[in-house]
Amino acid sequence: MSGKSFLVDLTKCTACRGCQIACKQWKKLPGEKTKNTGTHQNPPDFSYNTLRVVRFSEKEIDGQMQWFFTPDQCRHCLEAPCKTATNDPEAILIDEQTGAVVYTAKTAKEDFETVRGICPYDVPRMDKKTKLISKCDMCNDRVKAGKRPACVTSCPTGTMNFGDRDDMLKLAEKRLAEAKKKHPKAQLIDAESVRVIFLTANEPNLYSKTMMADASTSAPGQRLLNRQEFLAGITTPLKNILG
Amino acid sequence: MTLSRRGFLKLSAAATLSTAFSGIGFAMKPATVDRITMLKPEWSKQTTTVCCYCAVGCGLIVNTALAGTQRAINIEGDPDHPINEGALCAKGASIYQLAEGNPGQPNPRLTKVMYRKPYGTKWEAKSWDWALERIAKNIKRDRDASFATKNAKGQTVNRCEGLASVGSAAMDNEECWAYQAFLRSLGLTYIEHQARI
Repeated sequence: MSGKSFLVDLTKCTACRGCQIACKQWKKLPGEKTKNTGTHQNPPDFSYNTLRVVRFSEKEIDGQMQWFFTPDQCRHCLEAPCKTATNDPEAILIDEQTGAVVYTAKTAKEDFETVRGICPYDVPRMDKKTKLISKCDMCNDRVKAGKRPACVTSCPTGTMNFGDRDDMLKLAEKRLAEAKKKHPKAQLIDAESVRVIFLTANEPNLYSKTMMADASTSAPGQRLLNRQEFLAGITTPLKNILG
Repeated sequence: MTLSRRGFLKLSAAATLSTAFSGIGFAMKPATVDRITMLKPEWSKQTTTVCCYCAVGCGLIVNTALAGTQRAINIEGDPDHPINEGALCAKGASIYQLAEGNPGQPNPRLTKVMYRKPYGTKWEAKSWDWALERIAKNIKRDRDASFATKNAKGQTVNRCEGLASVGSAAMDNEECWAYQAFLRSLGLTYIEHQARI
């Protein structure tokens, strides 16, 4: 079972946010009232109705302003930590065919803080009224019908790629080699442990705090914390190799 | 109660699907039929159109429900279109809202017209019938007053020089065609679409 994967080539992303809206369009999620927070990042964060958000990060490198864009979404971990944080085994399902991590209506009975706290990428969000927890479901319905996820279909630049995991891993290596020529610090993020593989042009922490799984970001005293450390541990050798 | 074959099939399918999904809870909000099934020809009609927002002209696929609301249920980029190959920008990807509004809220389509008299200071609510009749009268008056059959050189032109059209930003390809045909039939020559402004 190798399932499906995304390759998100951030060297090509222009932050047009077509993917963010295409996601809302397919899922018929309503818009939100937001306010200007001094950045183009809007809405400012994930919410129950915003499963996908393009993050904008401004950094000064060698005296020059540089912009780093992250079309952020659930990474669909191969060994999903959020699944271990639930009591009901049917609250979070992993699709055997595609590998998608899918939240069901039974998440309403789970402890949201535990589910969110264990996510290395801080993705799950809860609806205050219904207590349902939501996040990206890899457009599992579309994928099973032979279509690409809404975000991938709408991407005009080739940032978002989707396909069988083996093909995506091959594409990731190919794109990484291309990116390295122009961006020596280019790297693949957590490629061995997640199904949404980001290719960054520079250090991952320049993009967003939650770009990469990191044991140090988790709050202490949470249930199954060692599981998260374990997950982060898997990726450490890769991080070391890629620098 | 009599049922057509199609109606019977739809009901059976809806029953099967709701049974299949009620236990697992795949859909966050329970619907009669899930989104992907609604794209099938039994449930919706598929048409292609062109995005109205800019001059690039990206291709779109619109799925319109055959039963129920009979309104658009999904609009996304057309992967077979040579211009965009399925891709859309943020504005194009949101085009569903142009016809249907914000999901989960009533369609904000205008049900009445706000009118302010010449030199007036207050807005009044008026009906569409009233507004259309008034617009028609004004068009007739100005067209009759400014219609030119010949130009200065005596050549036949048959044009209306006293009216201009500016805008039409939120019209789709087909609406633009109908609008253009209407304006040309009046003899207008000053016609600008948003994409050119």
